[in-house]
Amino acid sequence: MTRRRGRGQVPRVNSAYLIQLAVSAVAVGLMIGLAAWATRGRGAPPLDEATARRWLADEFPGREVESLWIATDGLGALAKSGDRALILTRVGDGYAARQIDWSKALAARAQDGRVRIALADVTAPKAVLALGVWPPKELAA
Amino acid sequence: MKGFDPVTLATPFFIITVILEIVLARFGALKAQYETKDTAVSLTMGLVSSVAGLLTAGASFAAAMWIYQHRLFTIPMTAIWAWILVFLLEDMTYYWFHRLSHERRFWWAAHVNHHSSQHYNLSTALRQTWTGGLAGTWALWLPLSLIGFPPAMVLIQKGVSLVYQYWIHTEAIRRLPRPIEAVFNTPSHHRVHHARNPRYLDRNYAGILIIWDRMFGTFQPELDEEACRYGLVHNLGTFNIVRVAFHEWIGMAQDIARQPRHILGWLFGAPGWTPDGSRDTSAKLKAEWAARQAATESEREAA
Repeated sequence: MTRRRGRGQVPRVNSAYLIQLAVSAVAVGLMIGLAAWATRGRGAPPLDEATARRWLADEFPGREVESLWIATDGLGALAKSGDRALILTRVGDGYAARQIDWSKALAARAQDGRVRIALADVTAPKAVLALGVWPPKELAA
Repeated sequence: MKGFDPVTLATPFFIITVILEIVLARFGALKAQYETKDTAVSLTMGLVSSVAGLLTAGASFAAAMWIYQHRLFTIPMTAIWAWILVFLLEDMTYYWFHRLSHERRFWWAAHVNHHSSQHYNLSTALRQTWTGGLAGTWALWLPLSLIGFPPAMVLIQKGVSLVYQYWIHTEAIRRLPRPIEAVFNTPSHHRVHHARNPRYLDRNYAGILIIWDRMFGTFQPELDEEACRYGLVHNLGTFNIVRVAFHEWIGMAQDIARQPRHILGWLFGAPGWTPDGSRDTSAKLKAEWAARQAATESEREAA
């Protein structure tokens, strides 16, 4: 937003440009601060079962949820759907959803009550879910 | 006209209106949803993109100047008809640039970050690419210089288009009067463009005039019965700005490294293309959605 161009000119870096860039950076900081103030105390509530099921239905239409585990901190969920694991992780006030083989989800181990599941995705490398004991006793081999 | 840059001139307007949207939404005076980290990513992407643009702007402008020296006609910058013509031709060029940026992975890799927010507000408009210049889409505007439009004139019109497209990134304006909705790209039309609902995917590529979508079969009105859900088909699981900026390039490189014999498909196939069809493309998601709709419809009729 700070380029200056004209007829027969190529963009160039000069002191005016640097001042413009610095002012823009200050303005960006101000707007981020304002957004933080405006949204304080208005974060998304912890994930509950109904919300998780709604998200899963939107993200994986047609997939039936057989079992659902909600993270104890309300920041995500994991569902079993046939041979697939459907995973929700909180991002800001929304969620990112991914699916992996159920066997890979089952093979993940819990440490300090948190399950770390590798998603092998550059945009969501891993899911860390506070699921307590994992795998659940009824599913553990 | 020397030194006239609509984007630079509009920057104070961008800042003031983002501030107004945040504050008015805070007090419930208009509809807008902000999230701090999401806003930080959008605004920082915008700031850095203005610097990143400098890296290739010189080369692209030099290319336009060279082409202009071999122009077919000499079009005066002072004629009103020339401005009307460049407005129409630049806007149609933008439509095809934008369509290409959604329908072929190489260019999607540069454009995807603009769509990566799960929110739709004025700050989303500023979530701009860092790699657009490297993707080379600026070459699509070179024919305008070959026809005979001075490169500075084309640059100004591109700036006007960018400024126009800023204000339509809002949920605060529901719908405008019908004649305006019929001709111009509006907040309603552009919400559809940013939506990830299968019905809305790959629609409304317009810059200023929505007529191109109507002409080329990509128009989709916003429907009251289907609210827009924003973001990507597979939303990002991180606010790491480097991942936001480069994730599709990295993913593409990983795919090519794994299966180099499919390099053309990985580069120029539709986003989500794979040799075995195991990932989701827009076309696949739309077809699945249409099949579900048809099944629901026949169940309803049977009942």
